[in-house]
Amino acid sequence: MIALEPLNRNESLRYMGGAGVKLNDEMTRLMDDCEARLLRAARPKYLYKIIDLPCAELTPGEDIKRHLEGCSKAALICATLGAEVDKLIRVSQISDMARAVVLDSMASVAIEQVCRRVDALIAESLPEKFLTFRYSPGYGDYPIELQKTFLTLLDAPRKIGLSVSESCLLIPAKSVTAIAGISDKPVEKKRRGCAVCSLRETCRYRKNGDHCGF
Amino acid sequence: MDFKTLLKNDFILLDGAMGTLIQKSGAKYDHCPETLNLTHPELITSFHRAYIEAGADIVYTNTFGANEYKLEESGRSVEEVISAAIANAKKACEGTDTLVALDIGPIGMLLEPAGALRFEEAYEYFKRQILAGADADLIVFETMTDLYELKAAVLAAKENSDKPIIATMTYERTGRTFTGVSPASAALTLTGLGVDALGVNCSLGPDELEPVVSEMTKYTDLPLIVKANAGLPDPNSNEYSIMPERFAQCVKALLPYGVKFAGGCCGTTPEYIRELKNMLSKEAFKPCPKTADTCVCSASTVVEINGPRIIGERINPTGKKLFKQALVDNNIDYILTQALSQVSGGAEILDVNVGHPEIDEKKMMERVLKAIQSVCDAPLQIDSTKPDVLEAGLRCYNGKPIVNSVNGEEKSLSAVLPLVKKYGASVVGLTLDEGGIPKTAEGRFEIAKRIVSRAEALGIDRRDVYIDCLTLTVSAEQDACRETLRALHRVKAELGCKTCLGVSNISFGLPNRELVNSTFLTMALEEGLDLPIINPNIDAMTGAVRAYRVLSGIDKNSVEFIESYNDAAPQVKPKAQEDISLDAAVYSGLKKEGAAVTERLLENTDPMEIVNNMLIPALDKVGEGFEKGKIFLPQLIQSANTAQACFEVIKKHLSKAGGENVSKGKIILATVKGDIHDIGKNIVKVLLDNYGYTVVDLGKDVDPQLVVDTAVEQDIKMIGLSALMTTTLKSMEDTIKLVRETPELQNPDGSSKCVVFVGGAVLTKDYAMKIGADYYCRDAKESVDTAKRVLG
Repeated sequence: MIALEPLNRNESLRYMGGAGVKLNDEMTRLMDDCEARLLRAARPKYLYKIIDLPCAELTPGEDIKRHLEGCSKAALICATLGAEVDKLIRVSQISDMARAVVLDSMASVAIEQVCRRVDALIAESLPEKFLTFRYSPGYGDYPIELQKTFLTLLDAPRKIGLSVSESCLLIPAKSVTAIAGISDKPVEKKRRGCAVCSLRETCRYRKNGDHCGF
Repeated sequence: MDFKTLLKNDFILLDGAMGTLIQKSGAKYDHCPETLNLTHPELITSFHRAYIEAGADIVYTNTFGANEYKLEESGRSVEEVISAAIANAKKACEGTDTLVALDIGPIGMLLEPAGALRFEEAYEYFKRQILAGADADLIVFETMTDLYELKAAVLAAKENSDKPIIATMTYERTGRTFTGVSPASAALTLTGLGVDALGVNCSLGPDELEPVVSEMTKYTDLPLIVKANAGLPDPNSNEYSIMPERFAQCVKALLPYGVKFAGGCCGTTPEYIRELKNMLSKEAFKPCPKTADTCVCSASTVVEINGPRIIGERINPTGKKLFKQALVDNNIDYILTQALSQVSGGAEILDVNVGHPEIDEKKMMERVLKAIQSVCDAPLQIDSTKPDVLEAGLRCYNGKPIVNSVNGEEKSLSAVLPLVKKYGASVVGLTLDEGGIPKTAEGRFEIAKRIVSRAEALGIDRRDVYIDCLTLTVSAEQDACRETLRALHRVKAELGCKTCLGVSNISFGLPNRELVNSTFLTMALEEGLDLPIINPNIDAMTGAVRAYRVLSGIDKNSVEFIESYNDAAPQVKPKAQEDISLDAAVYSGLKKEGAAVTERLLENTDPMEIVNNMLIPALDKVGEGFEKGKIFLPQLIQSANTAQACFEVIKKHLSKAGGENVSKGKIILATVKGDIHDIGKNIVKVLLDNYGYTVVDLGKDVDPQLVVDTAVEQDIKMIGLSALMTTTLKSMEDTIKLVRETPELQNPDGSSKCVVFVGGAVLTKDYAMKIGADYYCRDAKESVDTAKRVLG
């Protein structure tokens, strides 16, 4: 169990297409209120497991092989904010859509925060090793269908209540599955970047010369 | 030996973990450990035998995940795995009295509303396992986290087998399951559904389960099950923290709560079972009767009827034009808004009635109940005059509901009470029969008595029958009020039933109805009314109940009362700006000001001029700011909501004048089949609504056929589809295809009558065109632009 820390507002604003927007008082109040509610509802949980490479079953496609080049092991990771956050966003969509949008973006920030903490925990437990950034099913040519395999291997439905639907949606929605390579030598810490992103053709940030931080 | 005979023992010893033994043996399997039943039958039999030798009275088959979904990739069928598993277990039991339980765990996919799996689909998964396991001695459901899934499982077992059923859920340290189910709700619901024993498995070590077990026992008379983990695993060594002897001692501490079944889950081995047996041989079973009064519940919230509890009456189309329209338009959001506002007004239970001649009431009841359950924790009261509607509602309800209602007519008694029993609900009993409503209290009391005795004959606890002595209009029959109250008093005192009463009827035809209603309510409470059915958003009514709870000593130290009214002092709100323009109000998202300005404008401006020359341009300006990145999405939405408030004012004005409709045309919106993320679609909806279009929102995970049927039935020419994932784009394509192929949606020359616009995170313009859409809309703003182009 991880306790959340205050959320990065700028990141959340960027998700809402509002990077650089000056917030009026009402919007600031709305964001304060959403953050408080979100922190109350979230029950962040995670699992990870170290596997040996090569592992054909978990590394189909070119992109992931390139990503894990030089790694002898990898960490399978999953994390979730829990079902209450989904419910909070669902209820808000009935009562106040503006609030729902803010909550949704903040929850995205929160799950990324959880993942970064998990990265740090894994790194701590492997003092002599180096981690690549997290690579998720759905990036590039890495099949999104692998989510089910990840969750089964981690026993995630039973241990942290995280499962996947037949159309590959993670449930609860604010969740992540990923793999991070473990190497004996320092790895190049680049940003995941737009190249691997499935939204690159339609992305608003990209159109405006920005990026989502991904 | 059969289960019934076994129940005569003081305690029943269950086995320990199967997975732990498989892991320790190092046996290799593809995908599912259940396939070992076929590849290593002797190994599995030897594990069962080890538990039998340790003393287990019941062993669980190695079929925890032997369902269609989890076995998918193994190439094995549910039937072959389960029959092999039962054969392996039976072989181990040869020459002993040990029983074989067909073990069934969660499907592995989450059910609606959180997930995409429908309740009815879950039922089919379980049904297949139960039919395949017909040779087992009993059925066990375990490690469940979702009460809804467990209900589907228990119904599947009850309807396809006559075997005993035991059921356990797994809890977190918070005392809830992952999906938020409380032990109390599980106990109430499972008891109602007629399982033979219930309890907890997996979760934590037995040293941490006291809160869960002690809560469960308050709400059930059934024997409890504890099948805990051996504490927590060490993340490095994977060794569990509680050793066999201590494990047994911790279980011993739970026996006073009515625990009769004990065994072990993750990390336990035959050694643990042996220690449990030693410990149990020195103890005697003590039943632990329930202490709670009659209760109703949702999956997360229990309402104990141990004092007056408010039932909200607003989800009911009777006499409400807007509500009827919402039903006809399938406008579920309207109903959900009613649900949420009643709960915030103080309702603890919500009545749900969707009867209307123009709709399919049964389908609507299912749809509305599922939708309310997805956003609201209050227990529900399923209200219909039709038994088939009641049953549809009872089936898909998650928790223990109230049925509204049965009455003294033979037809009603014989149709409704068996449903109440089967689904484990409470029921409202109306004191009327073939002869109508008796004039006297005595007449109504006699009917109440009859309803109670018929209920008891079916095994329904009389405390689960809530008698309604019926409110008549005092302006028509002044003496009737006294008769109602006398009947209520007698029912409460002599029958020991709970009572309920619809209150508002009393004042029909009188001025100042609120005063009459609240006074009558107070009188009825004093006579013993438990469940007033009222409008909780009227302060005088809710307040009367709250005050009564204080004055009668139910609300100890007035805690609830103070909580309700502590910040009731009029809030100092920033004063509405008087001279703001409509444009500025919309741009800044100031709802109240927008509505007020609209009112003023209507005094001397044509309504359509306000819409076309002021509101729409104001919204356009906001949209432009959004496109340029000057304002962000929540602001855009707040502006849209302000425009909505202005539209409402204009609509009201027009309907008073009997004038034209402001709707600019109907549009269907749907998130496609398989996709359950609908926030994007909902944002589009808010905007379209506020530009004056009538949106028919079909929701998420929508079948292509429903889109087509709705377009045909309501003659709708514009359809918007949303898909979030690459995996669901196919459903979008299928939906468009079906729209194009449907003859009713084609012009005589074969061209399509419908304009389809699509959007969603992973969609591109090229792809949209490829799958046959007419327009690709990048965001909500573009959807509005498209609607303007198409519908004007």
